[in-house]
Amino acid sequence: MKKVMVGNHAVAWGVRLARVEVISAYPITPQTQVVEKLSEMCADGTLPARFIKVESEHSAMAAVIGASATGVRTFTASSSHGLLYMHEMLHWAGGGRLPIVMVDVNRAVGPGWNIWTDQNDSLSQRDTGWVQLYCETNQEVVDTTIMAFKLAETLSVPVMLMLDGFYLSHTAEPVDVPDQELVDRFLPKRDAPYKLDTEHPHAFGALVKPDAYMEMRWLQQEALSAVPATLDGIEKDWLRMFGRSYGAMEKYRAEDAELLLVTSGTVTSTARAVVDARRAAGEKVGLLKVKMFRPFPTALVRDALRGVPRVAVLDRNVSPGHGGIFAEELRSALYDLRDGERPELFGFVLGLGGRDITPAVIDEVIEKARAGTVPSREDLWVGVNP
Amino acid sequence: MPESMITTDGARAVPQVAMSTMSTLVTRTGSWKYLRPAYLDRVAPCNAGCPVGIDIEGYMNLLREGRVDEARDLLLAENPLPAVTGRVCHHPCENACNRRALDGAVAIHAVERALGDLAHERPAPGFTRDARAERVAVVGSGPAGLACAYHLARLGYGVTVFEAAGEAGGMLRLGIPEYRLPRAVLDGDIARVVAHGVEIRTGVRIGRDVGWTELHDAFDAICVATGAHASRALGVPGEQLAGVRPGLAFLRDVNAGQRPALGRRVIVVGGGNTAMDCARAALRLGSKVTVVYRRTRDEMPAIREEVDDAQREGAEFVFLANPVEFTDGAGRVDALVCERMALGEPDASGRRRPLPTGERFSIDADTVLTAIGESSALEDFFPEVARSDSGLEVDALGGTTRDLLFAGGDVTDLERTVADALGAGKRAAIGIDRHLRAVRGDTAELNALRFGPGNLSAARWLGRDPIRRTDPVNDVVGPDDLNFTQFARVPRHDDPHLSSVRAVGGFDEVNGGLTTEQAMDEARRCLNCGVCTECDVCLIFCPDAAITHAEGGAYAIAMDYCKGCGICAAECPRGAITMTQDRP
Repeated sequence: MKKVMVGNHAVAWGVRLARVEVISAYPITPQTQVVEKLSEMCADGTLPARFIKVESEHSAMAAVIGASATGVRTFTASSSHGLLYMHEMLHWAGGGRLPIVMVDVNRAVGPGWNIWTDQNDSLSQRDTGWVQLYCETNQEVVDTTIMAFKLAETLSVPVMLMLDGFYLSHTAEPVDVPDQELVDRFLPKRDAPYKLDTEHPHAFGALVKPDAYMEMRWLQQEALSAVPATLDGIEKDWLRMFGRSYGAMEKYRAEDAELLLVTSGTVTSTARAVVDARRAAGEKVGLLKVKMFRPFPTALVRDALRGVPRVAVLDRNVSPGHGGIFAEELRSALYDLRDGERPELFGFVLGLGGRDITPAVIDEVIEKARAGTVPSREDLWVGVNP
Repeated sequence: MPESMITTDGARAVPQVAMSTMSTLVTRTGSWKYLRPAYLDRVAPCNAGCPVGIDIEGYMNLLREGRVDEARDLLLAENPLPAVTGRVCHHPCENACNRRALDGAVAIHAVERALGDLAHERPAPGFTRDARAERVAVVGSGPAGLACAYHLARLGYGVTVFEAAGEAGGMLRLGIPEYRLPRAVLDGDIARVVAHGVEIRTGVRIGRDVGWTELHDAFDAICVATGAHASRALGVPGEQLAGVRPGLAFLRDVNAGQRPALGRRVIVVGGGNTAMDCARAALRLGSKVTVVYRRTRDEMPAIREEVDDAQREGAEFVFLANPVEFTDGAGRVDALVCERMALGEPDASGRRRPLPTGERFSIDADTVLTAIGESSALEDFFPEVARSDSGLEVDALGGTTRDLLFAGGDVTDLERTVADALGAGKRAAIGIDRHLRAVRGDTAELNALRFGPGNLSAARWLGRDPIRRTDPVNDVVGPDDLNFTQFARVPRHDDPHLSSVRAVGGFDEVNGGLTTEQAMDEARRCLNCGVCTECDVCLIFCPDAAITHAEGGAYAIAMDYCKGCGICAAECPRGAITMTQDRP
């Protein structure tokens, strides 16, 4: 069934099809429509879930943590300051190995107060033990939301989905809504290995002494390390049942490329058009979309970029005092490659606070990456005149 | 897969989540606490503010649960005349009501009225103590005398009330017009007092028909509750002119069924309830009424609603006007000359003092009714009993300076309202009981029987507090002690009133009162300040699940697990949980 819907409603449809049982969320621009749509679905009975109203994002995450601990499927969504307010609870979900799925509609962090998109909110939460997946289209949002539950519940890890504020959250696109019966077959009811049960009482999240804490972290690391392979298996099932797949990363017209753009989120679609134009002009320019940021798909990225002469990383984010965050992760991933296989990597910081990244901006990135001789450790800020 | 350098049994022997192998009951988190929550019922501000000493919160709570008869009995335990006070009391309870801070005070007067009316149709509650041999005389059958007699009867005493007028009721019958207090209502409440075994002998004026000493010899104790029936004179030239009358005398005529001719233009002098009664009665006799008051509306001692009703019914108000002379038009008053006043600093009553400006003006009148206050007049009374200008001096239990002689109501030097009179009558009854049973000790012990700083509770005096208050903390709950987030806004029911046209067309009751259903709605609006209603908020919020339903109602706190966090006390909607120090 095809429907035209905005990204926020695509999230809600994914949640509905996944038969989520408990939702708790606090509205914040640009995520608000997710909460509105879900509360409507709960109210009209099309989504028979318990919607817990709360006074803050911290409480929203706490509520879904509590609910998830009882063994039910849970969901929440936030943006920017709301996500940051959840920070402590994100660790509880991660360390508690609770398969919560949440959506972060990427929004810049204030001050200056800004409701438009960039990735600094979610990237600042990278060490909380959550899988992070950045989506490009509304179709990918619906599909990934459902797959995220399967991934989360398979490995007992929480999963965070990102979509760009307004560029995706408020942009309508045609979406093929998956068939409920097929989704039910793909994603059966959650079967939790541990759960809160008054008949068999256990305390969760209590004191763990030095003799076991590190082992628990090691087990968490092991689970997160298994994410790329597990997601690959899930994507294969999805492809078989629904005819679509995305991957932890995607190469686009990357064959024999002399310059490979690296993108995440909606800027990928713009970059595809630029690559198409360059290829039509006979230029060897390609694209690597990185969807998964945590765990970072180091092996996949290393294979994809091995031997590519030049790489231009487009970062809609910045680690102040350091540089673009994807670029830094890629430099780290590529460091082990031998000389001659290791690309020259050029980092570009752009599009912060919702500034538009047009084809012309990407053209400028391409020209700068080509003109550079030795990559600078300082990433270039595109569109900022000192 | 990340490599492990684990040298023990292996990481996989450790559970992937921090999970205990048994329930949390082994962890006695209660050992952490230094504060301990306790369900200590406190005092609702309505109870503390009621001069009668009615457990308003208590009967609201019973009504909320649909226990109408118990609610009525609790009300009647303190107030013999609820159908009366439900209509004419100045209801300081509502002024104190914490719900004002949310969406308007509970219409307590209307609930009391509905319960009072309901009580007329049901048998009176039974007596509360075995009969005693002593007999008490009560002089005066107004609210103070009736209250004293009623409570004494319930305490087992034989009581005879002496009333100078032809019918019982005192100022309720002589002073308050029927449109505020229908006679059937008054009769109904008095009938219940009589049903308690109180003998009322009308047409007997003590001091004239029977001497005070004679009375004192014939009874074990006396309560003087003769009221204040002498209108104060203005003391200005022309006051003796025809057409100038004490307002109280006019009201007495009207309330006896007479319809005196007043002429077209009537001036009422004064700002109290007698003045408002005069004004509204005169309007009903077809006159044009002007109320002259020397301060402003804000300083008027009359009940606010009475002023509003007088204005609605067409009375005009001239404020900051002090009468200085009545002018003579052929042997009869034809105008009142006033001096324009200005407000100065507050006086002893807290109201701003009127100061003369020297400017004079005149208002034409056919009749002037004066209502600037009343004083008590006792004939042939014990000369040694201490009294001030405003009345007999009494102690906390109505005792005068003469042994076994008690007093209450307007004859004393205390506040002059119906409610204060009812409260004083009760205090005198308790004082007499205490005296006759030779209870010794300081009256300070009586503070435990009070609603906070308010009046004494007869139920507590009898040791029969029907509500669970086993552990009262005698402080008053204010709005800051409540958690208003737990309460939905519910608009208050306002009393239906006759249209002003219909109202001034006769002496029908103006205020229609609330229906029983509406009164129940108002009872449900009660926040039950300071008293646990078993609403479960504490149980829901306790993060340690240490609060459970106790056998036989209320809650039990598992102190082995209560960490003393205080969330229950903070979340309690009504301030019924107090955090106390766990260790010294």
